[in-house]
Formats: sequence, structure tokens, C-alpha cells
Amino acid sequence: MTGFIDLYTEADTFLHRMDPRVKIVAVLLVTILGLVLSSLYSLLVLLAFIFVMLFLARATFSRTVFALKFVIRFMVLIILLWPIFDPSGTPVLASLGPVKITEPAIWRGVTSAARVGCLATVWYILMFTTSQRDLVRALVKLGLRFDFGLALAISLRFLPTLSATIDSIKDAQRARGLELDKGGLLKRARNYVAVLVPTIVSALRTADTLSLALQSRAYGARADRTYLRDLRMRSADIAALVLLVAIFVVPTIAKYLFAAPL
Amino acid sequence: MIPASSPSTASDKIVSVRDLKFTYEGGIQALKGINLDIRRGEYVAVVGGNGSGKTTLAKNINGLLRPTSGTVMVNGRSASDLTVAQLARVVGYAFQNPDHQLFCSSVVDEVRFGPQNMGFTQEDISTKVERAIEAMDLKGQRDQPPLSLTLGERRRVSIASVIAMTPEVFIVDEPTTGLDARETDDLMASIDRLNQEGRTVILITHDMNLVAKHARRVLVMSEGRIVLDSDPGGAFSDLELLLQSKLVPPPVVQLAHRLSGLGVSRETLSPGELVSRLMLGGGEAK
Repeated sequence: MTGFIDLYTEADTFLHRMDPRVKIVAVLLVTILGLVLSSLYSLLVLLAFIFVMLFLARATFSRTVFALKFVIRFMVLIILLWPIFDPSGTPVLASLGPVKITEPAIWRGVTSAARVGCLATVWYILMFTTSQRDLVRALVKLGLRFDFGLALAISLRFLPTLSATIDSIKDAQRARGLELDKGGLLKRARNYVAVLVPTIVSALRTADTLSLALQSRAYGARADRTYLRDLRMRSADIAALVLLVAIFVVPTIAKYLFAAPL
Repeated sequence: MIPASSPSTASDKIVSVRDLKFTYEGGIQALKGINLDIRRGEYVAVVGGNGSGKTTLAKNINGLLRPTSGTVMVNGRSASDLTVAQLARVVGYAFQNPDHQLFCSSVVDEVRFGPQNMGFTQEDISTKVERAIEAMDLKGQRDQPPLSLTLGERRRVSIASVIAMTPEVFIVDEPTTGLDARETDDLMASIDRLNQEGRTVILITHDMNLVAKHARRVLVMSEGRIVLDSDPGGAFSDLELLLQSKLVPPPVVQLAHRLSGLGVSRETLSPGELVSRLMLGGGEAK
């Protein structure tokens, strides 16, 4: 369960060491680039570039597939459904009543799937190489208000705890003869009340304790804060940033100013 | 004192565990080969430090966890053939944290939840619920919302909600954590009564005072194994082993050990016993 919530995996690669602010900017740029590019070939080149990064981050194949399994299913769905709902273009390969399958529609489906793959994978790389702590710290450094950053960090931190609590509550109710997955939809929904109520109560109790703990450590006593570990850009980070801006700017200019078929 | 090992036949074994090993998904081996027989009507304390495998063992007995290898027999049937709900009729398990199960708007509804899941008749349910409420001394709180009660009362509700299902084996996990001395005594008196009525009680704890006062058989667990299985006196006589298992015997037991030169038995369990043994010059006291 925790593998789902926190994708971060500790390793010592240049992507792990990179300043998290650079990584956030990079992911945003690649996301926009993925939306800018519309030809299948350019998207496949981008996807190849992202896969090289994934390899350099030492993400194993099985973990990546596990983390992205919903995205992969979504991509398959796009490829299958797109031609059915998009009847434009020729040649028509097959038709059944109002449904026409055309060759360009098939390619458009594949292109959209490739785009989804690009966007999902690049965000996965960010999550895989950046601890939640660094991510929040970078967002605060980029201008997010500290309290929002803290709230975000706390929510991320407590997700695994909450999931463990829910497991324990489910166990406790099963030991009282509750069968969660039995019966019709309505019965099942009613069964989940026995899990939901203790979960909410326990979450509220935790929140209460947590706020006391924060106050007792003088949270909010001063508006300006110092940090034990501050973020600092190194020359490698600046080089990476320049490279990424180039990767973003060159195709964008080529496409919009010189009408390159990207 | 009732001896821990009276002659037994196969049929009065209510729980029988053979070569039980259990490994959690993350790869932690919590149980490394458990062999255990519990007879009907026994009062067993399972003690050991945190992480010694007590709760994992209990969850394997009531089916919430399934053995990685080995077998668990409950009431003569293999636990692996039964669902958790079916096992709950035989093995009741009161969780450590009562707030993980309380969700109804009144104590009586809360206690009724389990028996209703078991599918007893309405009449039967009412009798069982009233008995459980009485056994746990909750008559005054009957119609109150469980979450408004004190921790001691909430724990009673959680225990009542399990005994209302009238299981033959009753597992209580750390029932006295966070309770004061008075609440502890009251709660333990209720649990003792359940045992006197013939229920098998398995008490999971690391409070050695509870063990000395209440249990008649002690299983000491350490690192996934049962390292000692005896009556409380016997369990306390091996101080070395207890310390290795991250346990400290009650002060009276430690005192008896120090006084063993004066002829005081190392199996002394209560202050009264100690005094009478000293008065009788170390002779056997009743």
C-alpha cells in the first residue's frame, strides 16, 4: 500500500541529487512540451528521452509498470476507443452502421496515448527521484506559503499511517463477523459504515493531537523561518536547467515560428 | 495452583498449532515455527517484548492472517478451511485499541453488531447482548454513545461486543494499556469471570503483574518463538530467560528470588504468599 502513496526510492543518481526546484520546473516544461507537440514522431522522440531519464534514475522495469499500471490501462483504452468515436479522415478501413474506423483516427489514438505516456512518466520520474520532504521544501522555496507546504507535507506523511489504521479497523470489524465484500451494492455500502466511522474518528483524534504537538513546538511563533538544510543551486543544476529550457524552447519555436511539422 | 499440564485427550484441544511460520509481505518473519496446544477452559497469558510475535500468533488463530506454512486447528477443524467470520464464532478477538471498532450510536447497538453478523435469532441476540453488557458491567452506559465514554469503559464495550458473539476462545490484546489500577482490576475481574464460566481466555500482555495475578499458564515469546511454556511460578523462576525476552517479573517475584536464601520459594507470585512463606519459615503455604 505504501508503495502506491510514496513512489520515492532512495538512490544516488544525478536525478536524485538534482535540486528539486529544477526538477519541478523541468517536469512542468516537459508537460507543456508534451501538449505542444502533436506529431506522433516528435512525441515518440520525447517519450524515448523520458525513458532514457527513467533508466538513468535506475527505475526498474517492474516497479515502473506497477506504479503506472493504471496509466498503461488508460493508454490501451485510448488506442482502442479513439478510432470508434472519431470517424473523420480517409481511408476508411471498416464500417459498421454509424461507426467508421479510419486510418488517421487510429494514428490519432496512438498519438494521444503516447502523449499521456509522456506526461505520466515524466511525473513518475519526479516522484521516483524526489523525497516528499524535498518536494515540499522546493515548493515553499518557489513561493508556496509555508503553512500550505507544511499542510501538504503532513498529509503526505500521514497517508501511510491512515492506511495502516484503516487496515487495523477492517481487521477489528472482520473479527466481529463483518464481511465487507459480501452482499449487494447497498449492503456493501452499509458494511463500510463500520469502517468509515472509526476511521474518521481516529483521523480527527490524530489531527487534534498533532495540532497540540505543533503548538507545543512553537509553530507559528515567528513569521520568518530558517532551515537546517537549505536548498542551493549547484553548477550541475544550472546546466541541467539550461539544457531543459533549450529542449523546450527549440521545438516550440520551430513549430510556431517556422511551422515545422512537430 | 492448578498444574499447567493436566492429562488431556485430543478432543479438548480447542486450539492446536503445528510448525506455524508466518512472514509479512515486507519479508519480516514474525513467527519462526510455533507449536502449541490450548485446551478448553485454559487461562493462558502470552507475554513477550514488542515485536516478539504475540499479536501475529493471535491473528493466525482467528484467521485475520493465514500461515505462511504450518497448520492452525480450531475446535478440531483446520482454520484455513474457514472464513474469518466463521472463525469468529469460535475465536473472539478484542483488539488493543477499542476506537478501531466503535462506530454505533449506543453501547447496546455496538454490542449487538457482532451477534447480528453471526445470524443468530433476534431472541438469541437480545439474550447474548444483555449477558455481555452485564458481564462487562455496562448497564449504566447501555444507551450512551460509546465514543463519549472513558477509555476504560470503551475497552469494556469493545470486549462486550466480542463476548456477545459467545466465542469459546476469547483473545484479549493488551486490555489494560492506558488504564489506571482500579480500572485494570475491574476489567481483569470481568475477564477472570469469563474464564470461570468455562471460556478459554488468551491474554496478550507485557504486564507481568497481570500474568502473576490472573493467568494459569504462561507462554513467553521471543523473536517469533515460544521460548517457555509453563505455569506463572515456573515462568518467573527463570529470570535470565525473562530478561532475554525483554520482560521484568513483578517486584514481589524479584523479592522472592532475593530471599530464596531464606528458603522462600522462587515460585512465589503474590505479596500474601510471600508473607505466609516467610512466617512459616519458608515452608509451603497455601
